[in-house]
Amino acid sequence: MPRKKVAATSTAPEQQPEVVQDPLDPVKVNNANLVELKLALDDSVRRYFSRPDQFRTNNTHSNVRIGLGVASVLVGTGTGLYGWKTEFEASKMIVTIGVLLYFLLTALQTAYTYFIEGKTIFVGKRKTLVNRIETETITLSSETKPAPTPTSSPSYSLILAYLRSSHGGKTLIKRNNLSQAKDYVNFFDSEGTLDEGAFIAWLRDLSTSLIDGATSPINDPDSVPR
Amino acid sequence: MFSDEIRTIQKLGVRYVVLQVLNFTQVIISGLMIWKALGIVTNTESPIVVVLSGSMEPAFYRGDLLFLMNPRNTPYVVGDITVYKVPGADIPIVHRVIETHTVGPLPTDQSLLTKGDNNRLDDLELYKGLRWLQRKNIIGKVHGFLPYVGYVTIAMNDFPQLKYALLGFLGLMALIQRES
Repeated sequence: MPRKKVAATSTAPEQQPEVVQDPLDPVKVNNANLVELKLALDDSVRRYFSRPDQFRTNNTHSNVRIGLGVASVLVGTGTGLYGWKTEFEASKMIVTIGVLLYFLLTALQTAYTYFIEGKTIFVGKRKTLVNRIETETITLSSETKPAPTPTSSPSYSLILAYLRSSHGGKTLIKRNNLSQAKDYVNFFDSEGTLDEGAFIAWLRDLSTSLIDGATSPINDPDSVPR
Repeated sequence: MFSDEIRTIQKLGVRYVVLQVLNFTQVIISGLMIWKALGIVTNTESPIVVVLSGSMEPAFYRGDLLFLMNPRNTPYVVGDITVYKVPGADIPIVHRVIETHTVGPLPTDQSLLTKGDNNRLDDLELYKGLRWLQRKNIIGKVHGFLPYVGYVTIAMNDFPQLKYALLGFLGLMALIQRES
């Protein structure tokens, strides 16, 4: 929907109200950039699954990144300021400690993002009161699968993990894992505009099959007996 | 021009902005920390300096980049090219050592006299009252150089607008780009 601006002293007979934020604002990316395509779909996944009727976002991963990042910036800034104010010879000991601490914190942050967060793009929780409080946890990871042949196109692979538990996570009620990939061409047109409707329809189908197909571990032949 | 970015921020929220700003800040601070680490490793407060004058021609020309180090336990010898700062002066000077005298128990307790290769007289007038340079006035000695590269720094000092334009551009790029 195009934006319409209204002039303050317009004498036009029809005045259109100014649209502040268009909820159907199309997402447009560079078709040739695989990173942008993946990020656009990841953002759409987060928007869908964090809706009020869906799940509540668990921000642990980004909190850890922010925490370690802020700590490293504070250490770095402190070290820089100290080195600036103090004579070089006198400052050497503390500057060495500061620099090593900075690189350690940055390394920890990178290690966390690579090993622990990995491909995860969304973690969400939902509590429902049945006879007891049951918590549903959903973890979504995504990756780009390259085109298998030169004539096919790369695909977006979404891995969904669902867990339903109670008593603070101690009792496992149901569990399901699902993974599906779809070519990027299904969601982006030649201009790079995302067909969010089609993408959300796919997400809805996947999450429905994920939750409906969840089985309890007692009936699950692959589960380890408790 | 920024309406797309503002819309993205509105859609994704404060967390996204915080992560982007953090990313940008970490890049800057990483550069600073690498510089400080280099200074610790080479034992000098300015491990890399730019030649500003032609007093060391034909060895070094204005705009050359010099790599310094200050070995703790090695005395300086005649022929070393040192960078020193006279107390009271801001600008470091790159000149060659032409005389050394050991004035204390350790071989590193030295008094030094320097002269630019391209100067007619030695540096006594530059010492602002001192008769000799002490080891503590020396920032380091040159162990490597790169020609011409320092001109970028000279240009940015002579035209500060260039410096701000470059920083502004880099900042903008870092804030707008999203990492995968």
